[in-house]
Amino acid sequence: MEHRRNAGLETWLMYIFLIGSTIAVLYPIFMMLMSGFKTNAEIFGAPFSLPKSLNLDNYKTIWTTTDVPRYLLNSAIVTIISVALLLVTGTMAAYAISRYKFRGAIMVSMFFLAGLMLPLRLAIIPLFVQMKSMGLVDNLLGLIFIYTAMSLPSTVFILSGFLRALPGELEDSARVDGASELRIMVEIMVPLITPALVIAGIYNAVPIWNDFFFPLIFIQTPENRTLAQGLTTFFGEYSVNFGVLYAGLTLAALPIVVVFIIQSRRFIAGMTAGAIK
Amino acid sequence: MQSTDYESVRRARTRNLKLWLALLLTPAALLLIVFVFIPMGSAVLYSLYEWDGLARKGYVGLANFSDILFDPVRNKVLFHAFWNNVKVFVTLMIIQNGYALVLAMLLARNPRGYRFYQVVFFLPVILSTVIVSFQWKLFLNPVFGLVNKALIAVGLESWAVPWLGLPETALPAMMLVNAWHWFGFPTLVFLAAIHRIPTDFIEAARLDGASEWRIAREIIWPLMAPAVTIIVVLTFIGSFNWFEIPYVMNGLEGSPQGSTDMLGLLFYRTAFGSISAGGSDFGHGSALAVLMFIFIFVFSILATKYLTSREVEMN
Amino acid sequence: MAKVELRGVNKQFGSVHVIKDINLTVEDHEFVVFVGPSGCGKSTLLRLIAGLEEITSGEIDIDGARVDHLAPARRGVAMVFQSYALYPHFTVAQNMGYALRVAKEDKAVIDRKVREAAEILQLTEYLDRKPKALSGGQRQRVAIGRAIVRDPKVFLFDEPLSNLDAKLRVQMRIELTRLHRELNATMIYVTHDQVEAMTMADKIVVLRDGRVEQIGAPLDLYNTPDNRFVAGFIGSPAMNFFAGRAESVSDAGVEVALEGGTRFTFPCETPGVKAGDVVEFGVRPEHFSIGGNGDGGSDGALKGEVYAVERLGGETYLYLNSGSYRDIVAHMSGDAPISIGDSVEIGFSLARSHLFGPDGQSIR
Repeated sequence: MEHRRNAGLETWLMYIFLIGSTIAVLYPIFMMLMSGFKTNAEIFGAPFSLPKSLNLDNYKTIWTTTDVPRYLLNSAIVTIISVALLLVTGTMAAYAISRYKFRGAIMVSMFFLAGLMLPLRLAIIPLFVQMKSMGLVDNLLGLIFIYTAMSLPSTVFILSGFLRALPGELEDSARVDGASELRIMVEIMVPLITPALVIAGIYNAVPIWNDFFFPLIFIQTPENRTLAQGLTTFFGEYSVNFGVLYAGLTLAALPIVVVFIIQSRRFIAGMTAGAIK
Repeated sequence: MQSTDYESVRRARTRNLKLWLALLLTPAALLLIVFVFIPMGSAVLYSLYEWDGLARKGYVGLANFSDILFDPVRNKVLFHAFWNNVKVFVTLMIIQNGYALVLAMLLARNPRGYRFYQVVFFLPVILSTVIVSFQWKLFLNPVFGLVNKALIAVGLESWAVPWLGLPETALPAMMLVNAWHWFGFPTLVFLAAIHRIPTDFIEAARLDGASEWRIAREIIWPLMAPAVTIIVVLTFIGSFNWFEIPYVMNGLEGSPQGSTDMLGLLFYRTAFGSISAGGSDFGHGSALAVLMFIFIFVFSILATKYLTSREVEMN
Repeated sequence: MAKVELRGVNKQFGSVHVIKDINLTVEDHEFVVFVGPSGCGKSTLLRLIAGLEEITSGEIDIDGARVDHLAPARRGVAMVFQSYALYPHFTVAQNMGYALRVAKEDKAVIDRKVREAAEILQLTEYLDRKPKALSGGQRQRVAIGRAIVRDPKVFLFDEPLSNLDAKLRVQMRIELTRLHRELNATMIYVTHDQVEAMTMADKIVVLRDGRVEQIGAPLDLYNTPDNRFVAGFIGSPAMNFFAGRAESVSDAGVEVALEGGTRFTFPCETPGVKAGDVVEFGVRPEHFSIGGNGDGGSDGALKGEVYAVERLGGETYLYLNSGSYRDIVAHMSGDAPISIGDSVEIGFSLARSHLFGPDGQSIR
């Protein structure tokens, strides 16, 4: 959009506002990063100065004496498996709904859409009882099932929109070429919605990676804790060592921030996918 | 005859197709039924019983509901928490979404560094709420936190209060943290909505001599109504499910003095037990969950209805 | 290569009956075109033969064996689609070899067949490109190549030229005809464009509302249409129709009275009309003779007023009104000193005219 160049004051105000907001976002993150390299004495004595050196002692402490690496690994396992399971089962269901005409097709889509409106958090009590009886409490598999199930409605919704838009003649052509239904799906149709798979994957991976609530309820033993939940333990143990705490936060934030910076366009598209028609 | 063979081949193909469809749908349907629909349905059932830990006792009808709503002790806690959620919703609508709207309008003018700002504003959104909460808890530490150090450094010693420790400042501080964490999300949703408005509309208005302010108010704002609807509803749902920030920053009891107590914390305490609420109580917990669900659901539907009625069709 | 036979084929989508009792034989090596207005069921009929839709009743045989219960790939057909339906993520070679890959054909064989087909269609240098990097005409050829590679018994074409521009369409028309000759294959071709039908077909099947209106060689349909619909559909610009009355019926034929006093006896053997019936008299624009100019003869004439003249250099089209007969089109070769407002006599010869009874059937 063009705007008039002569509106000098307006432009100045705009940039002040934007740059101010940028500082408000980046400075705290920068301080978190810097404080992780400092000793407690430095943090208390010279809180705003840069660290004397890129001192990695805090990180060594975390790596050798805490469970944070374990938490990171658990979070990675849970997120990767959940998203993989989610994309496979979600694509299958979305494909059935959007590429075939069958009796009850509308009922089936309604069934999946209904899931969009159910906040699973509020069903945590029955879920807990049920998971307990299934032996899935204090078990990463339990988290994986929950995350997959609660992310399915949005995934089916996003993917069926894209699948429906693929031309029917492609499918017909593959059918005449002799490809089985499975092969048509896997080899011809699904590769064409890769962008949608990325969007649906990010849309769900970020909240799963960041989730705190379900591990809080379902995970008890330290070696099964995920990152967000494990941080509370870590903060309890190191409550007076600010340097280590800042380093822990930085370490916890690092994986997703790195991926975000590399793939920011996709992340933004993915995470706002549900809110933009 | 050949015709029997012909019919059986045809039937087999239909059967295979049905089998294939069933195969495609079953895993997702099963996961959804077992881990979402059954628990959601059971929540209602659970609320009608008395519970002793994990064991279900007698059927008590709506007694759990009436306890929560009308028992003088419980009722007070409930409405106190509810009122705090209302404050959160209203405040976030103003500071978080209002700020986002301004930023979106500015970004829509395509300033230099347009992509950069988007990435920066979205950065806190992708961080875990727990990380954000802890980070700001450290910053807000009364003695060692950067916030107070900064205030002292610029000569505002009197402002250097224990932010999370005072009943009057704890909730505002948390809401600011929430705004810092999330403002990028509504900003980019609003921005996307503005970009969907055909440039012709805005150019036509500009040719008619309308001021930028008028264009924003009379063209852009009405046409971005669908995005506003979505953000209002999402903020509402988020505010009434608010849990992580108060839990991580000030604990399960909503301290100090219940000033940061929320429905989400109350639900957790009731369901799984705490110092103040005693042991775990699934009956009252489920009843509270059902009430919250009904409230959020009904409000979301009404809000969507009301807000969509003011939306204009663009084509 | 093979013969295709349809016997009593019906197709219903729910309660909508789209294909109604079709009986049809496509001979070996024949190029048959299904033509008709949109919604006539021609594409559905093709998809029934391909097996992309199930028939509701009837029988389809290809090469002497019943196939209507089989999956598309087992019918021995290959199909070229309107949108080409090239797999966007495959290269040209992968697109052309896909069916053979699915059939687990030997890699060397696939490679050879793809190269051969590419050779025929001058696609060799594009084999490693993705469809996105090709022009419309090239994509079209890849789609055809994909069909050739499979060495099918029958080629099916679903409006394959409708996405091309006019010039390319003419070129591809010629190329397809050449291909038909070279491959000596059975081909079934669907189009709504009667020019494509006329120029390419050995045999045309005219469809309307899911029924066959007429089957025949192009010029047979042109010269002796079975009914008013075929008469109006085949030929461009379309035939002119004049409502009239059958005055009397005798051994000599039907005596027809047109509006404005024109009378003539239309010779025929089995009239199928009686005196007093409303009939329609049909003359193609190119069969009028204007002011004695042309080969139309003068078994009768109408007088009309010219309201538009289109001069194309080599030929001229006149648009006339004559009493209640509106929008008559007449064709003349060369230029003519006729201008708007002129009153012109347009003559016709009965040998090149047509008469249709009240039921729309031809009277011959």
